[in-house]
Amino acid sequence: MPYRAVRRQPQISPLKPLRLLAAAAALLFLSTSAAGAIALHRLEWTFAAPDPQAVADNPDGSPGAPPSTFDLPLHWSTLEGSPLHRVALRLHFGVAAVPDQPWAVLLSHFSEGGRFSVNGKFIGAISAESNERHVAWHRPQLLTLDPALMVEGDNQILIETTYGPGLHELAGVEVGPLGELWNSYARAYFCDIVWTWTGATIATLAVLVFGALWLQRREPVPLFLAVASLCWLGYCAAWLTEVMPVGLRMGVELVALAGLAAFLAALSITLMRMSGLSRRREEWLIGLYASLGPAMALGTGLRAEPYLLLSWQPGLYLILAAATGVGLYRRTRGLGAPHPLALAGAAALLGGALLDMGGAVGLNAFGGAPFLNYMAPLMLVALAAPLIDGLIRTMHETEAARVELETRVREREQLLKRNFERLRESERVKVESQERQRIMQDMHDGLGSQLMSALMLVERGAVSNDQFAQILRESIDDMRLAIDALTAEDADLTASLGNLRFRMEPRLRAAGMELTWDARRLPEEIGLHPDVVLPILRIVQEALTNALKHSGARAVRVVLLVEGVGDARMLDIRIADNGAGISEERVGGRGLLNMRNRAQKIGAQLKVETAANVGTTVHLRFRIGPAVPNTRSQQTVLNTQAVIERARQE
Amino acid sequence: MSADQISIIIVEDEPEFRRRFAQIIDSEPTMRLAGVAANKREAQALIDREEFDVMLIDLGLPDGTGIDLIRNVSQRKPDVDIMVVTVFGDEQHVVSSIEAGATGYILKDSTPADVISCIRLLRAGGSPVSPVVARSVLRAIRSRMGGVATSSNTVPPRSANAENNPLSARETEILQLLAKGMSFNEIGEILGISPHTVTAHIKKIYRKLAVHSRGEAVYEASQMGLLKT
Repeated sequence: MPYRAVRRQPQISPLKPLRLLAAAAALLFLSTSAAGAIALHRLEWTFAAPDPQAVADNPDGSPGAPPSTFDLPLHWSTLEGSPLHRVALRLHFGVAAVPDQPWAVLLSHFSEGGRFSVNGKFIGAISAESNERHVAWHRPQLLTLDPALMVEGDNQILIETTYGPGLHELAGVEVGPLGELWNSYARAYFCDIVWTWTGATIATLAVLVFGALWLQRREPVPLFLAVASLCWLGYCAAWLTEVMPVGLRMGVELVALAGLAAFLAALSITLMRMSGLSRRREEWLIGLYASLGPAMALGTGLRAEPYLLLSWQPGLYLILAAATGVGLYRRTRGLGAPHPLALAGAAALLGGALLDMGGAVGLNAFGGAPFLNYMAPLMLVALAAPLIDGLIRTMHETEAARVELETRVREREQLLKRNFERLRESERVKVESQERQRIMQDMHDGLGSQLMSALMLVERGAVSNDQFAQILRESIDDMRLAIDALTAEDADLTASLGNLRFRMEPRLRAAGMELTWDARRLPEEIGLHPDVVLPILRIVQEALTNALKHSGARAVRVVLLVEGVGDARMLDIRIADNGAGISEERVGGRGLLNMRNRAQKIGAQLKVETAANVGTTVHLRFRIGPAVPNTRSQQTVLNTQAVIERARQE
Repeated sequence: MSADQISIIIVEDEPEFRRRFAQIIDSEPTMRLAGVAANKREAQALIDREEFDVMLIDLGLPDGTGIDLIRNVSQRKPDVDIMVVTVFGDEQHVVSSIEAGATGYILKDSTPADVISCIRLLRAGGSPVSPVVARSVLRAIRSRMGGVATSSNTVPPRSANAENNPLSARETEILQLLAKGMSFNEIGEILGISPHTVTAHIKKIYRKLAVHSRGEAVYEASQMGLLKT
């Protein structure tokens, strides 16, 4: 391969196949030679009928020049602005006998079209570069070969084609039975075209997924990944655009160049971010570097493109390798690092890129297979998987947290309810036991002791029938007082006092005593605790009974009133008779003592004024306080509901 | 038997009290004992058999509560005065008796004079009442009309349920004065009416309370097959 030719003429890169790697790749990706197929490794290159301008520029390319011989795979490039070149490519293959089944010619990664003949007989044509049309075939091409056209011994395949400016390649040519080559063709078609379509589909989905993630979380990583996916989508679109008007060529190639660059740059930044590194300066530098290539290609009208592929583009791979290396390093150190799957994806991508580069400089021969195309969709999936996994886990955790919170709230609610029930129960028990104690105390002090003393008197035989009846009557009276004070839920002192009058009046009248009862200045109701009502009733009854039994009075006057407001509200009761007064020996007697004790117990003031033959006045004053609605239990219920409500909200 | 004699039946399970009441009535020339019963079954037979003006009845009978009998008699013989005999004259017993249709009550240990005057008062169109019972009747009426708690402190304003309240303003006033412990005479003086009118008001109040509890009573009675429809 003459050095001179490289500079002046179509730039031709000779390849030095690395057989070992080629064999491995062949096994993996493209079966280069099926059992009965013949792989052609050598072609003769002849410039044919160049246009006048080309002849003027390149005297060497004139017709009739001896053909050049090249090994396959073959890469060459043409400077921008070059005219169309017409070439004839000849390949030879030998057969021992003319086969009886159909054969075919399989072209791998032949970027151009052309007219195909075998032994001078036309077998087919593929759209080729023209002044209006640019072709950049990425798909394999299969042409059937009628065995009738073949001869024993040497056969010649002729490809007459044209090519314009840009990069071109012909990776391999095989001839063989159609059935075998069809399999190779299908495999190659899948890898180069279908898989790229698949990559584009994955990229589209990834744009949606990462875009949605970014919209939801506003985190940078999904945004970078969405950008990377979008760039890959652009790259795929450019790759899959194989035939286009000449005017679009520059645009499509720029899209491919820029798409790949941005894809790699975004991936590098993503890997760094995933490693927990958020270095704005480095990120800007990466972006700047990535935009350098497309800018130069644009600036030079694609003239710089062939050089960029070998100088600038490897830089992008180095950046990605560096980002991957950092991630790997941080992972081994147990620091924040990308998911292993992401690192593996990046490594695979880099491997693919390395193979591509190797192919481009002729270090290996994988038939021009675009490994980057193969790896990129895997990389995207590898990046999406941990993110989606994380998202799903987060959702599970959120759900679990919600369920747990709800459970806790419910438990707390139950606890509160239980506590409240317990509290109320214990309060009820306490109230009941207080009530019981009160009734017991009452029985003991009142009815019990009265019956007991009556028993003593009867046993001593010291009482007459009348006296005995009197004692029993007093006992019953006492019990009635207790019932008056106890039966109503809210003991009403006004009505209870009224009842006392109602019961006592007939008895007093029967004894010839006039009772005046003045309750006009009493409120309609006085709600007091039975603990207080009962002693007051007893004091009044005792005073009336004393007047009845001992005073010999003709009249008793009872004046009841409530005066003052609020805390100073006082109950004032005067029981005055016009009898003989209390004699000296009776002043310290049991009846008066009882009244004083009862008054003292409830904190009431009791005054007894007595004068011989003038009468006795018992004066009771008791502070009853403001008339407060008795809604204690209701308030407790309300409070508990409020507490539960508050716990719920918290 | 004289036409203006008041005929009375006694339903009382305790022989001592039965004898005592029978004796009180026997010794009163204006009254006549039409029969005695010691339990519900006998009482029912007596009620079906005899014509009478007043029924004295103890609530606690060996074969059930006397409330059913009161309801039965007050429905079937509206002219009969029913008088409940009670040990304590406590709210619960008296008010439920009034709701069943009783128009009076008397304490078991009342003096013969009290018993006689009470029966006379009843026949004269009045009803005796103690302050605690007056208060209970007020509460019963209010809770029935307002449907609100019976608590004295949450009594709704009278105007709120004026159309539902069966009591006239005068009747309510009388009950309030009674609850304060005022006598019929005092109330009469305050309101400028006779004591007799006061007791007549009370009887009317009792009747209203009974009528207003009749909805349930009719239902219960028909359930027991007491009412022929």
